[in-house]
Amino acid sequence: MDLLHNIALGFSVAGTPFNLLLAFVGVFLGTVIGVLPGIGPMTGVALLIPICFGLPPSSAIILMAGIYYGAMYGGSTTSILVNTPGESSSVVTCIDGHEMAKQGRAGPALAAAAIGSFVAGTFATIMLMAFGPLLAQVALKFGPPEFFALMVMGLTVVTSLAGRSMLKAVFSTLFGLAIAMVGIDLQSGVQRFTFGNIQFMDGIEFLVVAIGIFALTEVFINIAEMKNPKEVSMEKIKGGLWLTKEDWKRFWPSSIRGTLSGFFVGGIAGAGAAVASFVSYGIEKRFSKHRKELGTGAIEGVTGPESANNAAAGGSLIYLLCLGIPGSGTTAIMLGALMMFGLQPGPLLFTQQPAFVWGLIASMYIGNIMLLVLNLPLVGMWVKLLKVPEYLLTLFILIFSFLGVYTMNNSVQDLVLMVIFGIVGYGMKRADVPAAPIILGMVLGKQMEEKFRQSMVISDGSFGIFFSRPIAVVFLFIAFLSITNPYWKPAINGAKRLLSKPKAA
Amino acid sequence: MKKISVALIALVLVASVASPVFAAPYPTKPLEIIAPANPGGGFDALARAINRALEVEKLYGQPMSVVNKPGGGGAVGFAYMQMKAKDDYEMIVFSPPLIIGNINGTFSTGKYTELVPIAQLITDYQVFLVKADSPYKTFKDLIDAVKKDPQAIKFAGGSAAGNMDHLAFCKVAKAAGIDPAKLVYVAFSGGGEAMTTLLGGNVSFVSTGVGEALGQLQAGTVRALAVTSATRRTGVLANVPTVKESGINATYEVWRGVFGAPGMTKAAQDYWVKTLKKMTTTATWKDSLEKMQWVDAYTDSAAFTKFLADEYKSYETLMKDLGLAK
Repeated sequence: MDLLHNIALGFSVAGTPFNLLLAFVGVFLGTVIGVLPGIGPMTGVALLIPICFGLPPSSAIILMAGIYYGAMYGGSTTSILVNTPGESSSVVTCIDGHEMAKQGRAGPALAAAAIGSFVAGTFATIMLMAFGPLLAQVALKFGPPEFFALMVMGLTVVTSLAGRSMLKAVFSTLFGLAIAMVGIDLQSGVQRFTFGNIQFMDGIEFLVVAIGIFALTEVFINIAEMKNPKEVSMEKIKGGLWLTKEDWKRFWPSSIRGTLSGFFVGGIAGAGAAVASFVSYGIEKRFSKHRKELGTGAIEGVTGPESANNAAAGGSLIYLLCLGIPGSGTTAIMLGALMMFGLQPGPLLFTQQPAFVWGLIASMYIGNIMLLVLNLPLVGMWVKLLKVPEYLLTLFILIFSFLGVYTMNNSVQDLVLMVIFGIVGYGMKRADVPAAPIILGMVLGKQMEEKFRQSMVISDGSFGIFFSRPIAVVFLFIAFLSITNPYWKPAINGAKRLLSKPKAA
Repeated sequence: MKKISVALIALVLVASVASPVFAAPYPTKPLEIIAPANPGGGFDALARAINRALEVEKLYGQPMSVVNKPGGGGAVGFAYMQMKAKDDYEMIVFSPPLIIGNINGTFSTGKYTELVPIAQLITDYQVFLVKADSPYKTFKDLIDAVKKDPQAIKFAGGSAAGNMDHLAFCKVAKAAGIDPAKLVYVAFSGGGEAMTTLLGGNVSFVSTGVGEALGQLQAGTVRALAVTSATRRTGVLANVPTVKESGINATYEVWRGVFGAPGMTKAAQDYWVKTLKKMTTTATWKDSLEKMQWVDAYTDSAAFTKFLADEYKSYETLMKDLGLAK
């Protein structure tokens, strides 16, 4: 009954016309921010802080949270349409999403992404509401060794991103890991691969690489093909904008898998939305009925990761609200903003500020519905973008790539790097080396190394720490199974033959 | 007619170029307040609080904006200020990393003394936290345990080795007669991560800024063994002894101040010394202090400059002991 009472309280706060308006403004701005590459939810929330001063705390957080999950919706749009990830968490969506768009199925891809996001967002909110404090306790079980094991498991996803050659995928992953090493080393404070350049000290920004090797590469390829025009490769629009019966049948299993895995990996374990989306893609590649189609424009490659990143975003609010600890960059900014209102985020927030917390949770329901209503009609509009002549579209991608990357740090060096990565990406595409593993390597690399080193310091250099903790052992075991997967069947068959031979003889 | 207008133009030109008598008094242009970090952190919050107080209290007649120059633990912001040398409309907020970066060599573009100190505004302290169920009841318990076996006690912080979370405890331990190089520090990429690691029971204690610890302290999930201020704090920390009270003669201060670009004119510097002093007495500023739990620690330009020189010496010896000085 307590829960019902709290929910009622929440809706009474979030349901005022003013707060409804703010939620709408938030999700709308969030969608726009998500669509524009480079301008992430972090920047968006930070820009709003001055405006938020004039608002009561619950209204301010409703606005900021709206931007946060609105951006998760919008991030996939450019991934699908023009192969330009809007956020780090929608890089994976490029693979199958853009492939679908090329086949003229941009409409269903966008719709599936929106609905998947809605399903996951709602699920995360319900979990936060019903089990928040309990899940927070689970989250605390994830120390550095568990986290490292989880990352190892995540790295096995690389096999599913491989494309035709495993060797090329491994090369690509290692390249990504190498990029992740640039910067100041956490445990020793020593600079690595910075060449005395102060901008390299914080490492190479993830989106600089992502936009370079996805968007610019796309641009270069378009330009190269313009010179000797072939049949235009992209079919404009085929079939309806809406999901077909067959799509729906494939939608649910992948969306549910993405939601659950995303909520766990990204939210509770705290690995972030980007890792969650990669893991979800790996799961689809392994367990989906249509796994063979992944990479060639399968709807599962959109619904899984898009559900996963939204579930992760919702999950990281558990850290913020139940533990008072920011689980991601964006929630860290929200935390800072909360303090400016004199609210002290922490385990006591639920009991001390119930109207605030439950108002936020209720607004997340409302915001998710608004996002769905907002995004589905937009699908038609976005798809029309593809009717724009190719040279114009290419120009737009260029403009947005440069604008987006520059606004991240106001750094010209980032632009130069982006172009370099664009050229590298072009070369890789020509050599048929898959690009997605670079991103996976970057996303996982830094965290994986940090967690490994932290574990080593804690254990005085003993590897035993990874095998004495149940959660870590389970992850490592799954990783082992996942790598050795191709060899079981022959091994089991071989063993069977060995065992059955004596009988036959 | 033509002659008159030519003469007028000439007069205006001469006036604007040559004579300071004709020049308008100092603030004639928009001000940029540089936060050498991303939005959301302490630098950003301070820069925005200054911006807000100046604006609300109408202390600066021109527009102003906060510009984030993140990177290299402040090195990018520092280099930016060097680029803006002699520009009187640039201000930057800084804290101990300015000095730390000078000593460990990350601020490769120049010395911190190039910046013109205007005022120290606020200060913060470090606290040493253990989990609520930790066997260490007092700071002395903890220090004794570290003395007995430095390897056995692991402490975490939310920044890379050689930064404030790490150095704060090293300074205290050194004063207690422990070799700081023997301490085992586990670095995390944010205060939040360090806190979850403590709550999950993976490290013995955490060294963190007071502000980041308050929520957990209120909830009673962690216990503060000592705070690095010279005297007792108030509020949630009223019952937490200082390091000094625990029998170790050491303090650690996370000061935050405002600097002008290299070569800032005396007039502009004087203007800002006066204006910032006035700002610290306003209601808007006091409101920010209270909400952000900052401690008012205003000192003027001269005192701040001397303080920085002392800080430099203190950090230099400590970091040499740790092998972190360049």
